[in-house]
Amino acid sequence: MIKIEMQDVWLGYGHTVVLKGITLRAMPGEMVGLIGPNGCGKSTVIRALSRVITPHSGRIFLDSKDLTRISRRDLARLMGVVPQMPLLPSAFTAFEIVLMGRNPHLGLFQYEGRRDQAIAWQAMARTGTTTLAERRVGELSGGEIQCLLIARVLAQETKVILLDEPTANLDIGRQIEILDLIKKLCLENNLTVLTALHDLNLAAQYCDRLVMLCGGRIHAEGKPEEVITKRYIQEVYGAQNCVYPHPVNELPTVLLTAGNRRRAPDQGG
Amino acid sequence: MKNRLIGFAFFLALLLVLGFLWGCSPATQRTTASPMEITDQLGRTVKLDKVPQRIISLAPSNTEVLFALGLADRIVAVTDYCDYPPEAKQKPKIGGFSNPNIESIIALSPDLILAASIHEKGVIPQLEEKELTVFALTPKTMDEIQQAITLVGSITGKEKEAAALVDDMKKRIKAITDKTSGLTALRRPRAMYLVWHDPLMTAGAKTLQDELIAKAGGLNIAQGLTDYAKISLEAVIQADPEVMIAGVGHGSGEDLTFQFLNTESRLKDTAARRNNRVFGVDANQVSRPGPRAVAALEELAKFIHPELFPGAK
Amino acid sequence: MSTPPANILPLRLTRGHNRIYAIVILCLLLLGIGGVAIAIGSVKIPFGTTFAILFSRLPLVDFTPNWSGGLSTIVLDIRLPRIILAGLVGAALATAGATYQGLFRNPLADPYLIGVAQGASLGAVTGFLLPSGWLGPEMVPLLAFIGALGGTAIVYGLARVGKTLPMTTLILAGVAVGALLGSIVSYLIISSGEKLHGIIFWLMGSFSLSRWSEVQVVLPYVLAGIALLILYARPLNVMQLDEEQAQQLGINVERLKLILLAAATLITAAAVSFVGTIGFVGIIIPHAVRLIWGPDYRFLLPLSVLAGAIFLIAADLMARTIATPEEIPIGVITALCGAPFFLYLLRRKKKVLF
Repeated sequence: MIKIEMQDVWLGYGHTVVLKGITLRAMPGEMVGLIGPNGCGKSTVIRALSRVITPHSGRIFLDSKDLTRISRRDLARLMGVVPQMPLLPSAFTAFEIVLMGRNPHLGLFQYEGRRDQAIAWQAMARTGTTTLAERRVGELSGGEIQCLLIARVLAQETKVILLDEPTANLDIGRQIEILDLIKKLCLENNLTVLTALHDLNLAAQYCDRLVMLCGGRIHAEGKPEEVITKRYIQEVYGAQNCVYPHPVNELPTVLLTAGNRRRAPDQGG
Repeated sequence: MKNRLIGFAFFLALLLVLGFLWGCSPATQRTTASPMEITDQLGRTVKLDKVPQRIISLAPSNTEVLFALGLADRIVAVTDYCDYPPEAKQKPKIGGFSNPNIESIIALSPDLILAASIHEKGVIPQLEEKELTVFALTPKTMDEIQQAITLVGSITGKEKEAAALVDDMKKRIKAITDKTSGLTALRRPRAMYLVWHDPLMTAGAKTLQDELIAKAGGLNIAQGLTDYAKISLEAVIQADPEVMIAGVGHGSGEDLTFQFLNTESRLKDTAARRNNRVFGVDANQVSRPGPRAVAALEELAKFIHPELFPGAK
Repeated sequence: MSTPPANILPLRLTRGHNRIYAIVILCLLLLGIGGVAIAIGSVKIPFGTTFAILFSRLPLVDFTPNWSGGLSTIVLDIRLPRIILAGLVGAALATAGATYQGLFRNPLADPYLIGVAQGASLGAVTGFLLPSGWLGPEMVPLLAFIGALGGTAIVYGLARVGKTLPMTTLILAGVAVGALLGSIVSYLIISSGEKLHGIIFWLMGSFSLSRWSEVQVVLPYVLAGIALLILYARPLNVMQLDEEQAQQLGINVERLKLILLAAATLITAAAVSFVGTIGFVGIIIPHAVRLIWGPDYRFLLPLSVLAGAIFLIAADLMARTIATPEEIPIGVITALCGAPFFLYLLRRKKKVLF
């Protein structure tokens, strides 16, 4: 049962400040969605949480422990990341890539054993990627690679999962499949899941809470019906839209109108 | 009667004058203006208008020949490497052995330049272009060294000195070959001259050192190779030389090869090392094709056949 | 998640078996080529005698020697150390090359990328040019070793940014420092005059006059370095992902980079200091192994060790037998093998290579 917490984090690259005082939290058993336009800082939040970059100020806690106090390996045992467009070495097979997810659980000079291989295989089975096992990564499509990365994070068996646009390259069937899987794992195993999504409707369907970022700041936060509103969407995205309750489950659904895009007043602030 | 007396006196006077002139000119001094054509050791025909007075030597061996013939005061420049006799070091320098400075040479207005075989392709054509007289000496054997000395003698008017030097050389060589030329292969110790140790290079057939070893009564283990050739350590061990020779110099850098022969552990079982017959010879004497090659021969003879040529090592 | 039964696991394990067979086969091949190489030389020794000499050194075997002491010296003191040294150097260069390719994630990386070769050359040339009174010929390998490590240290120092070591900066610094050191070496060569000969031979690489004392010095460095690198094979695999993912998977990237760089540089420096800079081994062998057996460093490294040793022993054999009694510099042989290999790599359209 791990909760993530970011407190007033300011972070930038060089002279550009990307995150401006972000405070957010994700609880076990909860799937939190990060939404917002391109460049608003979603990936940066994920990278800060996985300690790939260090904030200028502010603190990050994992299970009430300061992130900087946790060793790299312990962190990897607790937290798994599905990055957005990672480079993968093209000559490795899909299975070998998924197997790398077992790395945090192996000692320094230990090799993957039967159990690790079985876990990796099972992760691939759950993501429907077993047919790709012997294929080289360089030959796979973007969608296949994305499923592979999810398999890898499943093989990592962590309590916290961060996902950066996990459905970007997937067809609609696969999108639902993957998000169903993640949601199921989240509920069954009490995982803490934080996912950046660009598809607002999917975010509304799957996330228990949403955090809407705009220009490095939190614009809105709360349940999907609280955040996905016509007004917020217009403010943040500047797109003409309508928001209706979904016919089946009443969750907010965004419908966009072509043309007549008005620039949002505080975008890029 | 008076006319015949005057005629007779005139004739006598003429005889006297001619006799006087005849007696005065030394037999060895050619003051003639008629040019001389002579072939050098590269086969080039060289024309000399007069006896050369300003000579430049482009090789240490040529310098030694010039000094040995008493031409020291006619030498205007030598190479950086000309170090024998010691007086040679005082002479002005015109650069290295393989790359002499053409401009310096021209600036000294020489009337004779003694070149060597390595100058054939580059240096000699350049000098000829400037209409300088170049005479090439390329001796590779004792006979050719003697021929070179004779040639230099005849173009510089030092025929007598040259003949004397050659005679001396012949005598000393004969003193040795008289005792060694009859030796059968069985009585000749296996000998090796090592030029360099890394990589191993030895003197094969058709080199000066090979001839010296043969004349000194040895059997060159590298006679199957031609010229200066690489040899493998294996082959040396297999051949099991009884005498090993390397050149030692006056500077500290030259003795590495000699040290190698003495210290290389894998050679310790050779006959030469077991019997302590590893010798150093003056590197210049043994490799310069000049008058001192005879001294090198004498040293080698003492090393190879101490029973025939007793003397201090 | 419960562990599923083993029989649902796919063919993965058979690939693992293939590679283990490969290791066994390469070991046998290594012994084979070693045996051939020790039996061939400029002096003809019958096979039987050669192996009798070899076996007579084993503690429990009792032979009455019926060969001359000279032959024994040739086989045991000239050929055997030479072959072992060639094997060690080949193994070191191939393993270092594979490691560098993994560290830089670049198929063109080779062990000389960050200044080892130029530093070693500078050290060696300095050794050749020093007045010979100074400690004799042992100075050259020592100076080469110091130069190799020094060159890399300079590159490392230039490339480091705070606590991190960006790999692209490392390459650039390596190229720059290498060029600088190389130009100094060139200048020294040109102005060295008649001492040139020895320098040129060193630079082209040669195993002639290899002796047991050299093997004794090189062996511990190379074995220790290779052992360390093989132990780090799994993290090196994970490093093939980008650095961010590797970190997210629990790898301490900066520390790993340092360890791998240090070990690979050390074995390269040790290999190069006695023998000179032999090219192409460090880049061809890892690629060839990858082509056949894949990029998994758990197998790539040990297979590179074996393949590198085999390759260089074979190349040395060719170097000393093709134009006997002349010895072709071994760098020429490896280059002759390297060029067609690269062309072949370029022409491959099918499988993904790196």
